[in-house]
Formats: sequence, structure tokens, C-alpha cells
Amino acid sequence: MKKLFSFIKTYRIHAVIALIFMFLELGLELLQPFLIAKMIDDGIQQQNIHHVLRWGIVLVTASILVFVSGIINTFYAAYTSQNVGYDIREKLYTHIQSFSLSVFKQFQSSSLVTRLTNDVTQLQQVVFMGLRIMMKAPFLIIGAIVMSFFVNAPLAMFFIITVPFVFFFLIWIYKKAAHSFSFVQGKLDQVNKIMRDNLRAIRLIKVYLRKHFEIERFQGASAKLQRQTVSAFRLTESSTPINMLLMNFVIMAFLWFGSIQIQTDKATVGEIVALINYTTRILSFLSIFSMLIMVLSRAKASAKRIFDVLDTTTENISTNHDTFKNLDYIIEGNIIIDHVSFQYASAQTLAVKNISFKVRSGETVAIIGETGSGKSTIFQLITRLYECSEGDIFIDGFNIKEIDVENLRNNIGFVLQESHLFTGTIKENIKWGNPLAKDKEILEATKSAQIHDNIIKFRDQYDTLIGQKGVNLSGGQKQRIAIARALVRKPKILLLDDSTSALDLQTEAKLLQSIKKMECTTLMSTQKISTAKNADHILVMEKGEIADQGNHDQLIHRSTLYQKIYESQNGKE
Amino acid sequence: MFKEMLKPFQVSRQVLKKKENEELTSIKVSEISNTTKNMSTTLEKLWKLMSEWKNQILIVFGLVIISSGLGLLGPLMVGLGIDHYIVNFDQLGLLWLLLGLALIYILHSFTVWYQNILMIKTSQNIIFKMRSVLFEKLHRLPLSFFDKRQHGELMSRLTNDIENVSSMLNSSMIQFFSSVLTLIGTVSIMIWLSPLLTLLTFSVIPILFIGIKIITKHTSKLYKKQQYNMGVLNGFTEETLSGQQIIKVFSQENRVISEFKEKNKAIYEVGFWAQTIAGFIPKLMNTLNFFNYAFIACIGGIFILYNIGGVTIGIILIFLEYSRQFIRPLNELANQWNSLLSAIAGAERVFEIIEEKEDRQDKQTYKEISSIQGEIIFSNVSFSYEDDNSEVLKHISFTAKPGETIAIVGPTGAGKTTIINLIACFYDVTEGDIWIDGYQLMDLDRNSLRKQMAFVLQEPFLFEGSIRDNIRYSRLTAKDEEVIEAAKLAGAHSFIEALSEGYDTKLKEDGSGISQGQKQLLAIARAMLVNSSILILDEATSSIDSITEITIQNSLKRLMQGRTSIVIAHRLNTVKNADNIVVLKEGYLVQQGSHEQLIEEDGFYRELYESQFSYC
Repeated sequence: MKKLFSFIKTYRIHAVIALIFMFLELGLELLQPFLIAKMIDDGIQQQNIHHVLRWGIVLVTASILVFVSGIINTFYAAYTSQNVGYDIREKLYTHIQSFSLSVFKQFQSSSLVTRLTNDVTQLQQVVFMGLRIMMKAPFLIIGAIVMSFFVNAPLAMFFIITVPFVFFFLIWIYKKAAHSFSFVQGKLDQVNKIMRDNLRAIRLIKVYLRKHFEIERFQGASAKLQRQTVSAFRLTESSTPINMLLMNFVIMAFLWFGSIQIQTDKATVGEIVALINYTTRILSFLSIFSMLIMVLSRAKASAKRIFDVLDTTTENISTNHDTFKNLDYIIEGNIIIDHVSFQYASAQTLAVKNISFKVRSGETVAIIGETGSGKSTIFQLITRLYECSEGDIFIDGFNIKEIDVENLRNNIGFVLQESHLFTGTIKENIKWGNPLAKDKEILEATKSAQIHDNIIKFRDQYDTLIGQKGVNLSGGQKQRIAIARALVRKPKILLLDDSTSALDLQTEAKLLQSIKKMECTTLMSTQKISTAKNADHILVMEKGEIADQGNHDQLIHRSTLYQKIYESQNGKE
Repeated sequence: MFKEMLKPFQVSRQVLKKKENEELTSIKVSEISNTTKNMSTTLEKLWKLMSEWKNQILIVFGLVIISSGLGLLGPLMVGLGIDHYIVNFDQLGLLWLLLGLALIYILHSFTVWYQNILMIKTSQNIIFKMRSVLFEKLHRLPLSFFDKRQHGELMSRLTNDIENVSSMLNSSMIQFFSSVLTLIGTVSIMIWLSPLLTLLTFSVIPILFIGIKIITKHTSKLYKKQQYNMGVLNGFTEETLSGQQIIKVFSQENRVISEFKEKNKAIYEVGFWAQTIAGFIPKLMNTLNFFNYAFIACIGGIFILYNIGGVTIGIILIFLEYSRQFIRPLNELANQWNSLLSAIAGAERVFEIIEEKEDRQDKQTYKEISSIQGEIIFSNVSFSYEDDNSEVLKHISFTAKPGETIAIVGPTGAGKTTIINLIACFYDVTEGDIWIDGYQLMDLDRNSLRKQMAFVLQEPFLFEGSIRDNIRYSRLTAKDEEVIEAAKLAGAHSFIEALSEGYDTKLKEDGSGISQGQKQLLAIARAMLVNSSILILDEATSSIDSITEITIQNSLKRLMQGRTSIVIAHRLNTVKNADNIVVLKEGYLVQQGSHEQLIEEDGFYRELYESQFSYC
């Protein structure tokens, strides 16, 4: 929560203005019973119409002042809270973008989205409430007590006894309640999980006749939820009646002792009316207080989730541009992988072990191997999404650690295993690769990627919307658009990470042929022999190591693993 | 500093202008507001569900009436006490009054406490029943129901909507009822005490309503915009965060950040005005309250002095208290009204499911079968979905002799899955017949038939729990040894043993910890455990690495042994080993025969074979 204040600090002037007007409002509200008491005692009791009118005008003026200060308070409070929300969102998003991939992977992207939206909204709400009522409740209670001392000190002593008691009672209740409501949440999650399971696995449940088993499981969880909910509420529901009773007894005390004081002229009727008035006010603010405790504890959780992200630091990959070789263009596209090893932070074993190979300019090299054999890792190391744990990678003779990351990536066309496309038109998606691409260049790229013919069959052609709102593309179409997106950069180095898996044989062959014409160094990983077969050089990977390398004809005779893969795909046993 | 202070005034007021955003008009109203189609019938249904606890609910309502009455009586007695005893120095009278008051206060607190507790207990019982009814209903619904609906939407009915109903029953109902009662009670006492002062007190109501109306007119529009902007930002972050690697690879960080800022700014501007204007409502209430106080005190004072309408100090005190007590329920009613509406809308959506047409239930007359050979005959079978006239399957006929393997191939949408759905009795044929061991499928008891079948579906669904329990899911009575035996046959035993806790390894909900291929092996083990004569297999399309693929192929082969197998085939091996291949295209059976036969014919199969199956 402390860190939240650092965000508010920028808007301290506005926050202070909001607070000033809140206190003005508060002061006027506290003054009101006092003024009414004056009116009763000086005006009505004394039968003085002028005093009644005078205090009446004061009261009406005060109510106008209350309105004006309330409006101004809202205005500045909204300004502050919305700005704080804006700033936190922006800072979070920018910070997330600066994460290296390994840091990024520590968070689930869905959880990052909730942090960016729901959690920030929570904090924003707390700031807004903070500037409006949160401070008001305790101050009103304290203020009401102070004012009642002015009105009648001996009688006001009753507050000193009861209010702290009520206060600590409330805190105690809500501490306990927060605990048992978190249990309720857990039980609710359990119930919803079974619901979700049943929806997703409905076929399985039907075919294995597990209906009664599931119903029993569900009712068990549901009954636990029921019991937990009732017991959690039993606690909180008792707080209001108890507080109400206590404060009502205070009213009774005022009536009794007040009447004794009136007889000895130590108190007036107006004073008693004022004291009763203060009591009912304190009572109504006590109920706001319990709400505040809940809101605050929720905000605390949100703040923690947000600052968990903001406090995560990322090793800065490209710090000082000057010290780097400024490689504007990769001229040749030679790649040398030199004794490279890498281990993911979360893993116990090396993902790639001591790998060395060379790719000459314009060559096509295929990497074949099982899932988890380290193919994708090599690509991520070349593009410096991750840094090698050991060994070096050289491009055109430069160690990639000495090349500015942005420059490095700008010169590489990388097609990922999962063809992630963004909401927008096909053209916009391809332009992601190169925002400056002209229509002619886009056309070249789509033709090479063998997707042009499909695109012009859509009604809106290149302006067809894709993504959540747009048309559904098949896996193969998505892959080819992703390839076009990389090709439009006219890269000297092209990395294809199993990105032709959904293409049929002829299309894939045509695509690989047109890539060959582009004369770029191509490194591709695959599980299909048919894809690997035509490469200049094939690396067979197994468990992070290069098990064998050569061309198709050599490997088919030499490598048992290659043979095994070949046979399984060729339908022989 | 002065410049800083003026900044809030410079926030763009564009959003307040009348002109609707073009995109905004395209948002469906139903997405934003909870519109109820038929409130009274929904309430009726809800009441029917609740009627089991009729007595408890009546007690609660009785208690609410008592507690509201006592709540009103308190301030009245205080006022009377001041008027009759304090002003007249009657200590004894005051003592009696206080004793009465103490009784009222204690009773009031007690009834409030008891009514709330009782209501929560009752409402949780009702919700428990509602959940159970809904859940059991789900299992009686035909599969077509689930195929037609999005999971997300269904889930939200099963969770959010029920939660809405639950919170309404928990508190909103009591609050609503007691607000109405308090309002009526307050107004009647006020009129009884002084009609004139009551009239004056009410003079603020029109101001209140006009004020709220003006404010909500602005805010409802702004809230819609805000929701829309939030949705846009949500979609954008979701997309860019899940595509984080692409952004990095193409060095587009700055671009997405600046796009984010733009969307963030839109939220900020709308949010500022929405919050500011909506924030006026409590301030307006507060002010009117304050004003009312001043008004009542001042006018009341004048009335006392000029002896108009029998107003006394006590009456003023009561009025002051009541004027707040009547503005508060007004405020609460407005709040409760919204949550009441959204709960009723939620209940309506829940009832929609509860009233869905159920699946055909097995009748007593249906034949139960205990063991079958596994002969399956499709004779001139056609099928179309109820709400759709176009036929998905058209006059399909083929025969599977006991122990044979039938591979079904064809492009997406050819009707492959429908054939499986028909055999598993997920859907009923529209025309033609399916015969199992000479019995017509329609005449068989479905549960007894399904007991004769083993299934391996495309997505190997695993539950959170141990591997042992997951395998055992197909036969809950299976002994541990049988589970292990099945796993061994499925070729899953070795990898399970290699896990740190073996068969007791807990699988997580997202299935992390084991690979896709291993999940399929577990699904096969599950099928192995069933003593079935028919196997329904929907091969996974997702690419699994070649080595695991070989293991899976081998264990499937063992699974198919001695079982009549109907397989939606995606693997070349499966097709080659099948006794009969059924080739589907657009719902028609275009070819059938063995792989060798079909490859000879110059037909659709060869085309399929070349594009789908050949790897080399």
C-alpha cells in the first residue's frame, strides 16, 4: 500500500484539494447538530423568532456549502484516482514489455491481464473512496465525539467508553470474517471447478456412465460450500445488531442522565437532542466502517499483485547502444553456433548441451527431432529471447551479445511455432513484419508464402478482418500468413520453427522453393522427414544434443533415430 | 501550483457530447444491462423452488415486519420521552419509558440478528437445491445442447448467475422488504405527527428525483462507453501478452506501448467523467439530507413559536431522525433494485437450462444387454440436426463384423464425428437403422449398451487427481492390480513408474507435468480397463513426436484386439491396418474398401491420401 502513495504523489495537489473540501464538508456536517441545538435552546426555548431564523439561514447556507464542497471534492478525487489508475496501467504495461522472455514466463499472461485491468480498477476505486469517505468515517466519528464534548462534556464521556469498544469489536469480527470468507471462496472455486470439468468432459462422463458419481461429488462440494457460507455469515451478521444495541443504550443513558442534569440546569434539551443526533451519526458511520475494512483488504491483495509485477526486475539486455557494433544490415547471414549450452530457469536439466554448428550464407539447414529435444531453444537463443548460459553465437563474425538487440532482431525473420495473429486486417498483420512495406512488397511476400491465392478468394481480400472478430482461418492459412509476415522484412536470416506443420505436401514444397529463391540463410525445425529431406544439411537432435548431422541420404543409412522417424512416418513397422 | 489545480478542468469533454460513438452503437444492449424478459414467471418459478422452505421464509418476513416496526418505534419513543418527561421533569415516567425502550432495543437487535441468520440459512439451502437441480439436469440433457453452446457462456450461467441469485436471497431480499416497510412506516408516522411538516419534508423529493435522473442519464451512457473501452483494452492486452514472443521478435515493443497508451487514455477520459458525475449522487443525497434538516428545524421552530399544527421539540427531533430514515431507504431501494433485477435475470437464465428439453430416457421396455459380439450395421442411415434441415449424413450403409476395425476418413465436416455420435447414442438417427448384434439401436437400453463400449476421444480429458483415479474413472470398482495391468497394456506403466510418486502422482487441472502423448496413453489405459466388445476411437490430430507416436500406435493396436473398432483415422498406420475404410465426403459415403483396393481406384481416397496421410 505504501507504494501506492508514490503514484498518488504526482497528483498531491489535487489530492490535497479533494481532502480539504472533504474536511470542509465533514466540519459542516459535524457542526449541524450543534447548530440545531443552538436553534432549539436560543430560539425555540427562548421563544425568539429572530434566533430561529438566524440559525435557520446559517443552516441553509451550510447546506449549500456542503453541496459545493461535495462537488469540488468529487471532481478532484476523480481526477486523482483516474490519473493514478492511468499511470499504474501504463507503468505496468511498459514494464511488462521490458521483461525478457524468461522473466515474462514467470507470470501467466491471463493473470497479467487481470492485474492490468481488475486489480488496477480496484486500486483506483480505493483512491477515489479514500479521498471521499474513507478518511471521513474515522474523522466523523472522532469529530462527533469531540463536538459532543463541546456540547456537554460529562454526558459525552459515554462515547469514550463505548466507541473504542465497538471499534475494536468490528476490527476483530472482520479479521475473523476475512479468514472465513477466504474459505468460502475456496469452496466456491471447488464447486465451480467440478461444474467446469463436467461441461468439458460431458462426453466422457456419458460414455462411462459416471453421472451418479459426478452428482455425488458435486453435492459433496456444494454442501461444504453451503456450510462454510452460513458459518461465515453468522459471524458478520452479529456485528450490526450488537453495535446497534450498544449505541442505543448510549442514547438511553443520554436521556436518563440528561434529564437529571436538566433538573439541576446543567444541561439543556437542545444539548440532549444534539447528543442523540451525534449518536445516530456515529452508528451510521460504523456500518460504513465495516465496508471500508472489506474494501481495504481487497485492495491490499490487488496492490500486492500489481507490485509483484512492478518489482520484478529484468536483466537489461541492451543497455548502452554506443558500445555495440552497430550492425545495420546483416550482409552475409553466416551463423556460427559455438559450444552453446542453455538451461531454462525453471528446468533442472540443460535444454541444449554444448552445441556447435555452422550455417553458411544462403544455406538451408533443417533441424529434426522430437518435442523437447531443444529445437526451438536454438532459435530463441539466436534471436536473444534468451541468453546462452555458455558458449557464443556469431553472425557475420560478430558475437550477437555485442549487437544491439533491436538491430539483431530487425535483420531476422522468425516464424514461431504458434502462428499468433493479431486482430485486424490481413494486410495489417503482414505489415507487422515491416510497417513501411509497400503493397508490392506485401504481394511478393504473400505470393512466396503461397497464401496470396487464398487471400484474394476472401470477400474483402487483403482487408479481411482476422482475429477474434474476423473470419476463421485454418491452421495452414494462419501459418502461411505468419510466414508472409516474416518474409516481408526481406530478412537475410530466416528462422522457421516448425511453422509448416499444417501445410500439405505440395504447398509446403512450393513454399520452400520460393524461399530458396530469396537467397536467405534458412534455419528450420521440423518433425517431418518430408520437410527436412530437401535441406542442404540436416541436424538430428535428441535430448538437447546433436545426435547426428548430414544430408538425407547419409542420415538414412547412418542415424538410427532418423531411420526410426522415417519409418514411423512412412508407415512401416 | 495554480496551473496544477486547473488541470482537471482541461480533461477532454469530448466524451460528454451527445454524438454517439459509431462503434458504441454496435454494442448489444443485452450485454450491458440485465434485461429481464419475463419477470413475473421467473419469480413464480423461483418461489416454487423456494416453497419447500415456505415456513422459514414466512418467519423471516414476520421478523422483518417486527424489526422494521421496532426500528421505527425507537426514535418515536425518544421524541415522546423528551416531550412528555424531560421537558416536564418527570423522572419516574422517564424511567418507565426507558425500560420500555430498553426492551424495544433488545428485541430490535435480536430480531434483526435472527432474521438475517435465518434468511442466510434458508437461502443457502435454496441455492444448494438450485445447484443440485441444475447439475442433475445437465446430465440429463442431450449432447446437442452442449454442442450448440459456448462453454464460457454456460459456465457463467452456472456460476455468476447462481451467485447473483444467492446474494439476492442472502441480503437484498430482506433489505428490500425492510426498506419498503420502513419507508411506509416512516411516512405514516410523520403524517400522523404533523401532516404539515411531512409535506414540507417531502418537498425535497422532486429535487432528488430530478437530480438523480439528470445524473443517471449521463452516467448510463458513460458507463456503457467505459465498459466498451475497458473491453477494448482487455482484448488488446490479452492479445499482445499472449503474442509477447512475436512482439519481441519483431521489436515492436514501442509500437504496442503507444497503442496501449491511446486506449488507456480513452479509458481515463471516460472514467474521469463517469466517476465525477456518478459521484454527485451521494453528494446530492447528503446535501438534501442536510438541507432537509435545516428546513425541518427552522420551519419546525417557527411552527412551535406560532403554535401551528401542534409541533413540539420532540416532534422535531423525531422528524429529524425520520427524514434521514426515509432518504436512506430510498437510496437503498435504488441500489437493491439493480441487484434484484440482475438476480432475477440470472435466475431466468438458470431456469432456461432447467427447462431445456431432456434427452430421451431409457424406458423399461428397452432391451438390456449384458454381453454382445460387437457386430455393427449401418443401414441407409441419414442424420440432420434438429434445427437445421441440411443433412449431415446421407444414406450411409456399412457393416462391421465382430472384431473388425473400420477406419472413417474424410475432410473436416464430412460427417465423421457424427457417425461416432450415433453409435454412442449421443444423437438419434433421423432416418434408417443402426443394428448392434441384430438388435435395433433404438430399442436398446442405452446405459447397458454403453457398458459394452470403450472410448478414446480426441481430447484426453484428465481430472485433477491421482493418475490411478484417472485411469479408474472408466470402472470405479477396478482393483489396483487391474489399473496397473491396464496401464501396462496401454504402454503407460513405464512413464508412470518414472514419476516421483508413481500412480499416486497428482495431475493438475491444466494437465501440466505430463506430455500430450502421455495423456493419450492414460486415456487408452482408461479404455483398456473396460471389458468392452466395441471400441470407439477418435484419433488425435495434434502432432505428437514420432517416438511417442509409435508407442501410442502399438498400444492402440493392443486395445483394438478382439474389439470391433470404429476409428476416425488421422494416421496412415491406422488406415493401412483397417479391415475396411469408409470414405466420407460432404455426408455421402463415396468409397469403401481396404487401403490397397482404394488406392487402386482413381477416387477421392487417393486425393485424400496424398494430401493428408503421406509423409514422404
